[in-house]
Amino acid sequence: MSGDAAALNGREADTRAAVEVKALQAAGELAGARERFAELVARHQRRALRIAFHYVRDSADADEAVQDAFVKAYSHIGTFREDLPFEVWFTRILINGCLDRLKARKRREKWIVPTTVDASGIERNPADYLPSRGPSPEEHVLRQERRQQLHAALGQLPERQRLVFALSHFEGRSSREVSQLTGLNESTVRVHLFRAIRRLRGLLVKGGAKPGVGSRRVSRAAH
Amino acid sequence: MRLIDTVFRQGHLSERALVDAIVLGQRPQHLDRCDICAERAVGLARWMDELQSDAAGMADDVFSPERLQAQQQQVMRRLEQLDQPARVIAFPAASRSEANGATGRRVAVSWVGVAAAAGLVIGVISGQVSARLTQQPPAPSVAAATTIVTPTPEPVFAEVTPGPVDTSILDNPYETLEVPSLAALNYMTPRVTQTALKK
Repeated sequence: MSGDAAALNGREADTRAAVEVKALQAAGELAGARERFAELVARHQRRALRIAFHYVRDSADADEAVQDAFVKAYSHIGTFREDLPFEVWFTRILINGCLDRLKARKRREKWIVPTTVDASGIERNPADYLPSRGPSPEEHVLRQERRQQLHAALGQLPERQRLVFALSHFEGRSSREVSQLTGLNESTVRVHLFRAIRRLRGLLVKGGAKPGVGSRRVSRAAH
Repeated sequence: MRLIDTVFRQGHLSERALVDAIVLGQRPQHLDRCDICAERAVGLARWMDELQSDAAGMADDVFSPERLQAQQQQVMRRLEQLDQPARVIAFPAASRSEANGATGRRVAVSWVGVAAAAGLVIGVISGQVSARLTQQPPAPSVAAATTIVTPTPEPVFAEVTPGPVDTSILDNPYETLEVPSLAALNYMTPRVTQTALKK
């Protein structure tokens, strides 16, 4: 309940900040507008990067997509409506940007062979190059392995399923929120989510992923 | 409980129903009665939690705090550039005129028509004027021309003697009498004989 209240306060603060940026821009106080917008950037940056990273599955692309989304949001803040949460408005901009990048990548991949082969000639998954922090080498190896499997399994999902899954599961959004963010019907969101979970479960359980220690959702569903 | 679950799953919940229960947070009453389904729900929820933490960890590993900071600075730099009005560099007048000369000066289309009409009018008028100016007076007859051009002999002064009038002078006055001071006038005036012939 306190989390919901905090989220509500956060949304109100976002909307207030966005309206202020809009007013400052209109008044020509651009330095002030940028300063206020920097707060929004700091608040939404990590979340935006997670969404973009899981959607486009490339850190550099995700980085650029998030930057572009912030710049676009700032330059088009005049079109922001107060009745819509800033988060929803911004995430829509981000998702559209990611979608454009995916389309562009598909066009490029028709002509360019991806370089996933390392110096020793072994084909590597891009997730292998991710830096990691682990308390012990064994845990580190296990976690890396699990993440590689997850990365590979996510890559096998259709784009829309991956997006819905990332938003609703990784970001903890409800079906209604995901529907608002993506513009999809709420029932369609649920169908995509279920299909994504079923497919991932099939892929990861077959791939040897074992369930770990449960937490929040266990208590919510089972008790 | 849905009918399909009752018929095909011996009354147990489908995976879809479990997912809905976990994702939507609406706990079905069946979970209180059925240990098997409760265990399945717990297993699924654990797996999903693990997936969530792995996914979040994967993204956070890639985007370290330093990288977030750098990105934030980059965003702010781009916003600053966006706010600065673009500088327009004025080209020197000479280059501009050269450029115009290279591409050709643009003339309003209406003036082309006016110039063509004016040219036509001026051409017609000047043609008429020049035709009138160059128009020759009626050409003299061949005989007169011959008379004029024919070199005259040395003037001979006949002695005027009283007596009967010599009418021969009337017949050929110019051959017999010529005054040097009147020679120019003589050339210009028609001869009596010529006028008589014309008549």
